[in-house]
Amino acid sequence: MQRQPSSSGTQEDNEDSMFTQPSTSQVQRGLEKLTPAQVDQKTSEVIQYFLVKDQKKVPVRRADLVKHVVKDYRNIYPEIIKRAARTFEQVFGLKLVEIDPKNHTYILINNLEAADKPSPVECPANPKLGLLFVILGVTFMKGGVVRENVIWNTLKKLRVDSGEKHDEFGDVKRLVTEEFVRQRYLEYVRIPHTEPMEHEFRWGQRADMEVSKAKILEFMGQLHEQEPQSWTQLYREAQASSSSSNSSSSQR
Amino acid sequence: MRKSRRNEEAPRQNGSADFEASPVGLQDGHDDNDTGRRREIRSKYRDLINTVQQNREDMLSPSTDKLTEVLEEANKLFKDVRRAREAALDAQLLVVATDLGKEKASQLFSEGSAFDPTAFAEHLLSFMGLNRLEDGDGGPQNAGAADGYLPRDAWHRLSRRVECCFRTAPSFHYMMGSFHAEPPAPKQRTERQRKAPSKEAKRIMPTQLKKMEESHQEATEKEVERILGYLKTYHQDDPTSPISYYEFVVDPNSFARTVENIFHTSFLIRDGLARMYLDSDKLPCIAPVEEGDIEAASSSSRKQCIISISPKIWKVRYKACFSFFIILSSTIFLCQK
Repeated sequence: MQRQPSSSGTQEDNEDSMFTQPSTSQVQRGLEKLTPAQVDQKTSEVIQYFLVKDQKKVPVRRADLVKHVVKDYRNIYPEIIKRAARTFEQVFGLKLVEIDPKNHTYILINNLEAADKPSPVECPANPKLGLLFVILGVTFMKGGVVRENVIWNTLKKLRVDSGEKHDEFGDVKRLVTEEFVRQRYLEYVRIPHTEPMEHEFRWGQRADMEVSKAKILEFMGQLHEQEPQSWTQLYREAQASSSSSNSSSSQR
Repeated sequence: MRKSRRNEEAPRQNGSADFEASPVGLQDGHDDNDTGRRREIRSKYRDLINTVQQNREDMLSPSTDKLTEVLEEANKLFKDVRRAREAALDAQLLVVATDLGKEKASQLFSEGSAFDPTAFAEHLLSFMGLNRLEDGDGGPQNAGAADGYLPRDAWHRLSRRVECCFRTAPSFHYMMGSFHAEPPAPKQRTERQRKAPSKEAKRIMPTQLKKMEESHQEATEKEVERILGYLKTYHQDDPTSPISYYEFVVDPNSFARTVENIFHTSFLIRDGLARMYLDSDKLPCIAPVEEGDIEAASSSSRKQCIISISPKIWKVRYKACFSFFIILSSTIFLCQK
């Protein structure tokens, strides 16, 4: 059970690493001591923090949120998160998702279903999306795990050499193995017993939430001029994942 | 001597004519040949391990049996392994080989239809608008690999197509600059209100007065220009002798005309196109201002002077009697620079 924290700095620093979720009764008692305006204000601050962090697509850790924004209101933390999630849905059309229940990390994704076709408006698209698609697509088609060489070789055929600076992407290796990993689009895991050291790519937690396997398979079908169903197992997997993401799940 | 003894013994022990091996575990293996053989085994194992590691891609390809060959080779080697050191190498090779085997097994995953990243890359290049160069010579060899160039917007094209696969939250950015969330200050509102009625009032008037105003303005402007023209002409005729102001404005035949002349001349002076000054006899004179002087004049101090004239004085003046003190009955101000 968490004691009510004092506002001294050092105590806060120690406590946010050991932050435990307050109980319902604690939350109730906490709310009674605050005015609705105060709770709203704190909720707004949390929302702004998320929105700014989302610019770089870096996940938000609960510990940071509590330390930098929630602070003295940590005893009503669950209530604040609940309200923030509701505001994201109703005001912004976004979904607050806890991608790592163990480390308590959150991301924002679009609550609206992606359009079926590209937008008719000629708005510029981020080229990194194409690169990400290639890596995620190949990884998915290869069963979810793929050796890094496969990816580097495929990219090379697309004129993207991990050893050279690319016109569009710059330091490709850094972009793929650091930025995309930090954003949780990819996982870049070392394979044991390999000499020289090799890694494998997997889908990251953000990709699991944000990316539609069904839509990837659909595009693959178009490219290869075959039906998505021709990849039987992958098709089944894609259907399963899209139905699970459609069902609503409120995250804390 | 020892060697010869071993040579005699060797055939009895293992029957192989190629090499010698010490019996299992019992002998220390001090024999050179034995050590050599073990070294050889270890070296071969290391070769095999290297082969597997360096040629991963080849060994993974379903079209070759290279992995099987390596394993068969290892089996042969193992027959002669007697010591822990070589056995350890064998174990290491096994780890590497089974790793590869697992990978090969996972390749069988995509049932129904295989997925070939090379073909995928080719399809993507076409989608991104690759311009394959028409090259008769180098075509078959470098099919697709180095030929052709990707258009600049290749990756943008792909990104646009795959955007719909992503449910990315649009990034939130603050608007540049700030704005007041409060309603605008009342001051602005009253100004707008004041402007509105005057505009309307003006709208009613123009239809009636417009014509008159125009004729008035036009007439005045025309006259002023006419007077300026006369002034310039007189000045040009004799630039050195000053033009007497009274001579210039007085019309002997009409008082009204004289008043009008004074009126129009005052505009010239106001606009800095003409200047008045007192000559040596302290009589007022008028002269046009030169082009270059106009700017200089604007910086000099401004003076005001009132000139008044009445019909009586005008008569007197016509009678060639100039007086310095003239009173004008109408209120016309002459601005002198």
